[in-house]
Amino acid sequence: MLESVRPGVPRLPEWAHALIFLIVGLLGWYFLDDTWVRMLFLVTLYATLGMGLNVVVGLAGLLDLGFVAFFATGAYVVAIWGAPISPSVDGVVNYWVLLPMAVFAGAGIGMLLGLPVLPLRGDYLAIVTLGFGEIIRILALNMDDYTRGSSGIFALAKPDYGAETVDSVREFFIMILIAAMAVWFVTARLRDSKVGRAWEAIREDEDVAQGMGINTVRYKLMAFAIGASIGALGGAIYAPFVDFVAPAQFSLIVSINVLALVIIGGMGNTTGVIAGSAMLIGVPELLQFQETADVLAKFEWLRDGLNVFIDGFNAVSFADLGKLPPSEEWGDKLALYRFIVFGALLVMVMVLRPSGLFPSRRRELEFTAEEPAPAGSA
Amino acid sequence: MVEDGEIVTLIGSNGAGKSTTLRAVSGIIRPRAGQVTFRGKSIDRLPPHKIVQLGMSHVPEGRGIFHRMTVHENLLLGAYQRNDDLSGDLDRVYGLFPRLKERLGQPGGTLSGGEQQMLAIGRALMARPTLLLLDEPSMGLSPLLVETIFATIAQIRQQGSTVLLVEQNALMALEIADRAYVLESGVITLQGTGAELANNDAVRRSYLGEE
Repeated sequence: MLESVRPGVPRLPEWAHALIFLIVGLLGWYFLDDTWVRMLFLVTLYATLGMGLNVVVGLAGLLDLGFVAFFATGAYVVAIWGAPISPSVDGVVNYWVLLPMAVFAGAGIGMLLGLPVLPLRGDYLAIVTLGFGEIIRILALNMDDYTRGSSGIFALAKPDYGAETVDSVREFFIMILIAAMAVWFVTARLRDSKVGRAWEAIREDEDVAQGMGINTVRYKLMAFAIGASIGALGGAIYAPFVDFVAPAQFSLIVSINVLALVIIGGMGNTTGVIAGSAMLIGVPELLQFQETADVLAKFEWLRDGLNVFIDGFNAVSFADLGKLPPSEEWGDKLALYRFIVFGALLVMVMVLRPSGLFPSRRRELEFTAEEPAPAGSA
Repeated sequence: MVEDGEIVTLIGSNGAGKSTTLRAVSGIIRPRAGQVTFRGKSIDRLPPHKIVQLGMSHVPEGRGIFHRMTVHENLLLGAYQRNDDLSGDLDRVYGLFPRLKERLGQPGGTLSGGEQQMLAIGRALMARPTLLLLDEPSMGLSPLLVETIFATIAQIRQQGSTVLLVEQNALMALEIADRAYVLESGVITLQGTGAELANNDAVRRSYLGEE
């Protein structure tokens, strides 16, 4: 009965999901132009970050609102040691040395955060991690000697292969795609291992998990370290891609976006994380494209429908939203409305799929299974 | 205070500190004063997972079943510290509780209260404990089921485990216990064999509901 919660819907194995994702990515890489590949890069980057956070939140059940700290750590390791411009550090280290350095630094910072918060649970943990995310950003802002403060670091060392340098959007996309597949593989193996079972037990009931002989301190730290190193990996690939690293890029909104895409996608499930990233990161980007606007311009009824809502909003609000213009013009204006569309999409997911787009098997049980039978009714 | 191969029970009213005592023994909380020793070793500073390694399993009050894991997965978690072959232990648990075998693929949360209690005990046995700590195994169960559970506890002792049992249901507990302690506000006020205490006037008045 556990195999399929909704009978009749056959479930593809997880490796098939990964394969589909890989093929879709490669097709996009091959056929689409750079603007689109840039969107694919961001979606894949955030999906990778989501997989990292998913280890902490989805698997071990530790609510972390400061995930941006690790993303920033990775980016700054690459920037400080990989850019000639950075003060206090002379010379440039090869990117392929910096990448593992960033990952280890991430793990270290993750444990540093993990140690003091070990006894905390739920809301308290969320508050402390939230603060930690800000601490890292403010540190970056004030450690001018290393980070150049708010001016940021640019002209970073680029990854190279053979005599070539990775400097185009397309090459970076392949890089993040490889990283995403590797992270997917590693996290899936961890989840199905004894470590994964320990995390699951801790998530469900920490006291009982202790009673089973699980070293909760060790496994919680491990979750923080692994999640953080994945976040740092993302930062280390992101930094040379945008070729600019400054504190403003590492605000709270990054943590929120990553957490939101994990939840919207379906907590605990990698396919869900990718779907969530496609929706939260991909859709707002997509709505800025001229191609999207051109297609949507053909749907008169959609514009009229949206105008009804805009009229309604104007009637009750002191702010005045301009009505969508006639179809031949509204194409390029659509980008201005993208967050309305985006918000509507989010609400739709919450109402129609409360456990996420692709909930994990366990997660779905939590939302659909009947309450445990009352005690005494044998 | 518990000898090898015994069933010792700790009885007392609500809030007397019975569960707290068990939690201190298994290391989930640290005693503020006093000592916990196990086989001559002081264990009150050890973390819970180390105590499990020493051979002590705790069945918590309220059973602590992992609701979203299947019966089988719950049992495997009980053996988390072990890396050897588990099939013999699984057979043993399924032998004690045939009901669990029928439901091994079912999520723990969908079991009835009695089945959950069986699962909690079975899960603790998977660690091959020399000492089994049971906290209120009769809680919320029908009288018939309580009989079954207690019969199984006696059976577990026969198979060689020592049991420390915390119970509100003093009558049942004293019946199977070799020795018993009465706890009041965290202090042991009476002790003796199960039969002695069952016949003690104070105990009869306070815990067995007799005039």
